Amino acid sequence: MFIWTCISPWTYTSAVHFDSYELDPSIYDEMFLADGTIREHCSRLYDELTRLSAEETRSIQERVARSFRNEGITFTVYGDEEADERIIPIDCVPRLMPKSDWRHLEAGLTQRLKALNLFLEDVYSGSPGEDGHGAPRIIHDGVIPVDVVRGCPQYRLEMQGFSAPYGTWVAICGTDLVRTNEGFQVLEDNLRVPSGVSYMIANRKAVKSNLRRLYRGSRVEEVEHYGRVLLETLKELAPMGCQDPTIVLLTPGVFNSAFYEHMFLASEIGAELVEGRDLLVNDGFVYMRNTTGLQRVDVIYRRVDDDFIDPLVFRPDSLLGVPGLMQAYKQGNVSLVNAPGTGVADDKSVYAYVPDMVRYYLSEEPILNNVDTRLCRRPEDLEYTLDNLQDLVVKRVGGSGGYGMLIGPHSSPEEREDYAKEMRADPADFISQPVLALSRSPCFIDGEFEPRHVDLRPFILHGQSTRIVPGAFCRIALRRGSLVVNSSQGGGGKDFWVMDE
Amino acid sequence: MDRPIREIYSGWKRIYDSVGREPPGGSLALSDTDEFTLADSYTLADDLTFERSNPDSVWRCFAMARENARQMRNSISADMWTSLNLAYLRIQDLGIQDIWRAPESFYVETLSEINTFTGVAAFTMYRDDGWHFLQLGRSMERSQLLTSLLLAQMVAEATSGERVEDDWATLLRAYHATETYNRKHSVEVIADQVLDLLVSDSMLPRSLRRSIDQMTAELRGLKPGPDPASNAAVRRAEIRLNNLVNPDSPTQGNRGALLRRVNERCRELHQLLAASHFDYHLEKQSAG
Repeated sequence: MFIWTCISPWTYTSAVHFDSYELDPSIYDEMFLADGTIREHCSRLYDELTRLSAEETRSIQERVARSFRNEGITFTVYGDEEADERIIPIDCVPRLMPKSDWRHLEAGLTQRLKALNLFLEDVYSGSPGEDGHGAPRIIHDGVIPVDVVRGCPQYRLEMQGFSAPYGTWVAICGTDLVRTNEGFQVLEDNLRVPSGVSYMIANRKAVKSNLRRLYRGSRVEEVEHYGRVLLETLKELAPMGCQDPTIVLLTPGVFNSAFYEHMFLASEIGAELVEGRDLLVNDGFVYMRNTTGLQRVDVIYRRVDDDFIDPLVFRPDSLLGVPGLMQAYKQGNVSLVNAPGTGVADDKSVYAYVPDMVRYYLSEEPILNNVDTRLCRRPEDLEYTLDNLQDLVVKRVGGSGGYGMLIGPHSSPEEREDYAKEMRADPADFISQPVLALSRSPCFIDGEFEPRHVDLRPFILHGQSTRIVPGAFCRIALRRGSLVVNSSQGGGGKDFWVMDE
Repeated sequence: MDRPIREIYSGWKRIYDSVGREPPGGSLALSDTDEFTLADSYTLADDLTFERSNPDSVWRCFAMARENARQMRNSISADMWTSLNLAYLRIQDLGIQDIWRAPESFYVETLSEINTFTGVAAFTMYRDDGWHFLQLGRSMERSQLLTSLLLAQMVAEATSGERVEDDWATLLRAYHATETYNRKHSVEVIADQVLDLLVSDSMLPRSLRRSIDQMTAELRGLKPGPDPASNAAVRRAEIRLNNLVNPDSPTQGNRGALLRRVNERCRELHQLLAASHFDYHLEKQSAG
């Protein structure tokens, strides 16, 4: 168990700009070893940062932030009154990782996605059975309890008996990783409509153009070809026999908070950006209406949630989807990326079983570890969680975006009491995890370099093979001491460089 | 600037009449005191420039243009987006108090930004249907704005019973036509001649005739919509509109009625185009 504690920090004093940079041996620092020595792969970055005057660094920071504003790279938060168009705060200091570490991550992420796709195929493709008979193998063999899967709100009965083309349920995955002194751990797998990849590319563009000398002098792996790789992946998933597929990106529309990303990705892959009302199904095929008539569509990269994708199958009140889309999909006339129903595999309860999935389907030991997770549906885990609330992070199984969770050490006795009541009322809705000492990375804040907690979301693409662009969206908790990196709650982002050795 | 109050009054009134909007307070009242007029100008300029709820204010036009562009970013060039976004960001947080010490420089800069955007669009946008629709929209809006301004001027004159040469001169300036008018006619501003130039001269870049020619050219460049009957309706409407201002048509008759008909035909063409290219009935379509 990894408990984040504030052990009397000491001050690193040898560099001008890092005079007040605090190191804490209990927290992994991305730039410095525990004794204050600079990590080898960061030495060039450190030299550059300490060479620059405070004024120059401030100017770089301003230019990076301004480039987001000028290009309109925004996300929208909708309140009761009106929409608030926001710009994610970007820090100009990149986070660096040596290629050897990245290779380790790449192998672990590939392994994990392979297991998750096998799990989804196992869960959905078999015929429904009772009492375990005809049940998915993994349930039948007792690796994961039936109620964890079938009781999950994201389990889609409508997908029962369906086998995804090429076994690829999840073609685009954004996995959240954290680093501690114990190594990398997976915080969660985002298997439905993961977002953030546009920030990976926008951060790179902004930082690269403002730290030109450093970038040119460093051997940084490129990420700007992500669109090409995504396009190859989508083409691989085109219906059988379709040589030159027409691909569209289906967005919920301009009011969606991630609309910028939808527009950006459509542009990157040369696809039309469409809304549900632009598509229709005729005789089991999907068509896009344009100004000259209808055009057949072969692959849909959908950024609309399962619930809204087809009102004939899922929510009947949905105006965002396309009536008849699921029928066309099941007939193999159009590909949906990602497949509906993948949410069952990134549910917070199912998450706890992913290492077991790796062992079960691949007969391998997981390369990447999970965060130690207790499922409050189990009486002993509930009891442990209630007894140690002040030391744990408790999350709702269906929660996301950092909302609705309890961070024990930062909570009041009243908040813990209220939360405990809710947990006792519906234990299956909660999981608990230790408070992790997320690694920290230097950020330029108020004219100084200060450490802030970070996580990492690389994007894994899988068509008929797996591809990972060597980069990620690195999120930062901008408030001193905060562990919440979500952009909707004061988080920011920074560029992430994989350094070729 | 020393200008008669009546002239200032009619200037504001014409603007409000042309956009069909009630000024703040419900109506424009003539006053004999300069203090009142100055205070009023501040309010009216604010209403027309920065009022968020006024769909015709400069601020709102920029905001709406940017929002439309945001929704269509993958159909326009990156340079177009950047140009428009930067122009919007400049005025986003401004109010009348920020510009009132030198309002001219604000309007000159704003005009320059609009011209920059137009130039960037012309140089960077792919000449597909998106481009043709953009140009069509511009020509149509330009035609409607010009007819509205001319109508407002004619109505104002009819109401007051007097012709104000300066108002027509202002219209010439607004349409970059002063030098051409001076060359073609004389420095003496005569309303009928101004009307002729602004309506019928096909070589004047901002004339009504030129805008309608531009519409025709763009319509010819556009791929037909999926329904032949709707396409034919568009074609007929285009011919009707063209006939109104073609060189053989008389422009000396009831000019007001002519301008109103041009306005109506523009609206009709807009609706028919929407029906033929966007809201077409799917049952008329053979999917394939």
